[in-house]
Amino acid sequence: MGRKLIIDPVTRIEGHGKVTIQLDDDNNVIDAKLLVVEFRGFEKFIQGHPYWEAPMLLQRICGICFVSHHLCGAKALDDMVGVGYSTHNLITPTAEKMRRLGHYAQQLQSHATAYFYCIVPEMMLGMDAAPEKRNVLGLVAADPELIKRVVMLRKWGQELIQAVLGKKMHGISSIPGGVNNNLTAEVRDRFIKGDATIPSIDQMLEYSMEGLQLFYDFHEKNRAMVDSFGDAPALDMCLVDDNGDVDYYHGKMRIVDNDKKVVRELDYHDYLDHFSEATEEWSYMKFPFLKELGREKGSVRVGPLARVNVTKSYSTPLAQAALEKFHAYNKGKCSNKALHTNWARAIEILHSAELIKVLLRDPDLQKDQLLVTPTEAMWTGEGVGVVEAPRGTLLHHYRANKEGNITFANLVVATTQNNQVMNRTVRSVAEAYLGGQAEITEGMMNAIEVGIRAFDPCLSCATHALGEMPLEVTLLDAKGNQIDERRK
Amino acid sequence: MMRKEIKLMNAESDLTLDHFNDDSALIYGIGNIGRQDDGLGWAFVDWLETTSACANAEKVKFYQLNLEDADLISHKQRVLFVDASKDTAVDSFRLYKAESKMDFSFTSHAMSIETIMATCQMCFGKIPDVYVLAIRGYEWELQIGLTEQAKRNLNLASAHIYRTATAPSPKTDCCLQ
Repeated sequence: MGRKLIIDPVTRIEGHGKVTIQLDDDNNVIDAKLLVVEFRGFEKFIQGHPYWEAPMLLQRICGICFVSHHLCGAKALDDMVGVGYSTHNLITPTAEKMRRLGHYAQQLQSHATAYFYCIVPEMMLGMDAAPEKRNVLGLVAADPELIKRVVMLRKWGQELIQAVLGKKMHGISSIPGGVNNNLTAEVRDRFIKGDATIPSIDQMLEYSMEGLQLFYDFHEKNRAMVDSFGDAPALDMCLVDDNGDVDYYHGKMRIVDNDKKVVRELDYHDYLDHFSEATEEWSYMKFPFLKELGREKGSVRVGPLARVNVTKSYSTPLAQAALEKFHAYNKGKCSNKALHTNWARAIEILHSAELIKVLLRDPDLQKDQLLVTPTEAMWTGEGVGVVEAPRGTLLHHYRANKEGNITFANLVVATTQNNQVMNRTVRSVAEAYLGGQAEITEGMMNAIEVGIRAFDPCLSCATHALGEMPLEVTLLDAKGNQIDERRK
Repeated sequence: MMRKEIKLMNAESDLTLDHFNDDSALIYGIGNIGRQDDGLGWAFVDWLETTSACANAEKVKFYQLNLEDADLISHKQRVLFVDASKDTAVDSFRLYKAESKMDFSFTSHAMSIETIMATCQMCFGKIPDVYVLAIRGYEWELQIGLTEQAKRNLNLASAHIYRTATAPSPKTDCCLQ
């Protein structure tokens, strides 16, 4: 008798997702899907609001990557008022560097959350460990010194976000044409040298290196598993500068194939000319793909793994050394391995810390040229912003009427971009861990979640809703009759 | 109604804001003002700041507890967490002393007060006295503003913990402004 497994919702991700796995009579996987069952609403209710409210309101989609939404919206507003990248009449260096500093701080603390809270527990305690143990609280019990450092990484990142954006969450520093504050020398020195409440930037680098070493140790002991788990081919995409190196704040969208051949490079203002979105009746989350290649060949992966696959190099020495090791290990090709995403994320924690260290020593942060004030004639009424959010490429596109009220908003978030490749990963892991097994254990079910979690998906961002996250596992037969149910 | 609410309280029923009125104390409002009655914790802190009650305590408002809050409370001797409660057993509010306990029902975006305490103990080798003021809420939709019932509960909770404090006398509706 065939049967269907349902993981609902998947835990330790942001938002509410569900996995269904259809097995035939011999327990072979015949179908596997990640369903997103939240409702999307932010794009609609922003309509009619003044254009300048968009970055403030839309960042409230998320409590984790709110800086990315804020900055993406700010870049779109720059376009609208005539001082954005579409007009080549740019904001001041101080404004851009302040935005970048907040952006890197968020990447540091967001990646630290995803990596240490959601991924390291399985690395250190085992995928088969009891569910009540294999989480960050299990780590607290197992290694309190490690957790102290994790706490400091997050705290340091959040304090820097507060210093730059005015609040630890949902700050409002970016405004059309620039920012509303700079970084004083006193505040800068606090982050460089540390004080009684936060460590120094050099200690952050040390903790970041230790986080990367955790992955190396795990990889060394579990090489076969790490290198075979969740192999899911896709094109890779991220923003790059003129050298082909990742730029988290601004650049061209570069898409490469598995051999790192550039298959498309585009100005992100032209995104909609190149991408289309497929829909499925079983999910609120769309499936973007390159029009010319179609959904199967044209789906892209974004986020840490895509970025380390695409970027040629980093400008900072420690991250560059880690990147060279990653590239050499994968023999110069793109990695499609889900758990290599965790490797990439650990590299990017280090890269973020190094970028922050460089920026903190930049005197432009103390300058007063914060804002370019556009004339009324410069108003374009339409803007597109793209940044590399921690989870990948994020796009905001707004239009406003002549009164300045929003008439259209479209958000394409990283988790949506990754929809196809996450589904491929679910299928790959299901086949490897569940296929042909007479008995489905909790550990096997968790393997599916590990595959999804590697993407650190934000389903709330992808559908713009909120939800509680208990875990229900329901086992159904081929006719949809419930055989068993478990709840975490 | 008040008699019934006091019945729900335990030995901490004598606790007042005086207990927290110095810089070794922290008053932490948990919640989200954009989700109706989930804003109760913040409203309590707003009320303290508006009236300058408990002026010497550090006050914090945030959406949910996270791991770094273990570090935050490790620097304090007394902590009062104020949060909205969905518990139908709480008629209007409940004031109680929290016990450290590692709660493994963890999700990636929020942690319990008891777990923060346990983490504080394990990571930093110390733990403050922690009290919880849980105020009953009713509606949690995407909307700003407390329900009338939640406002009433907030007033009752505020008046109770304020009642013997040496600060200015309470105004039962001051927290609604």
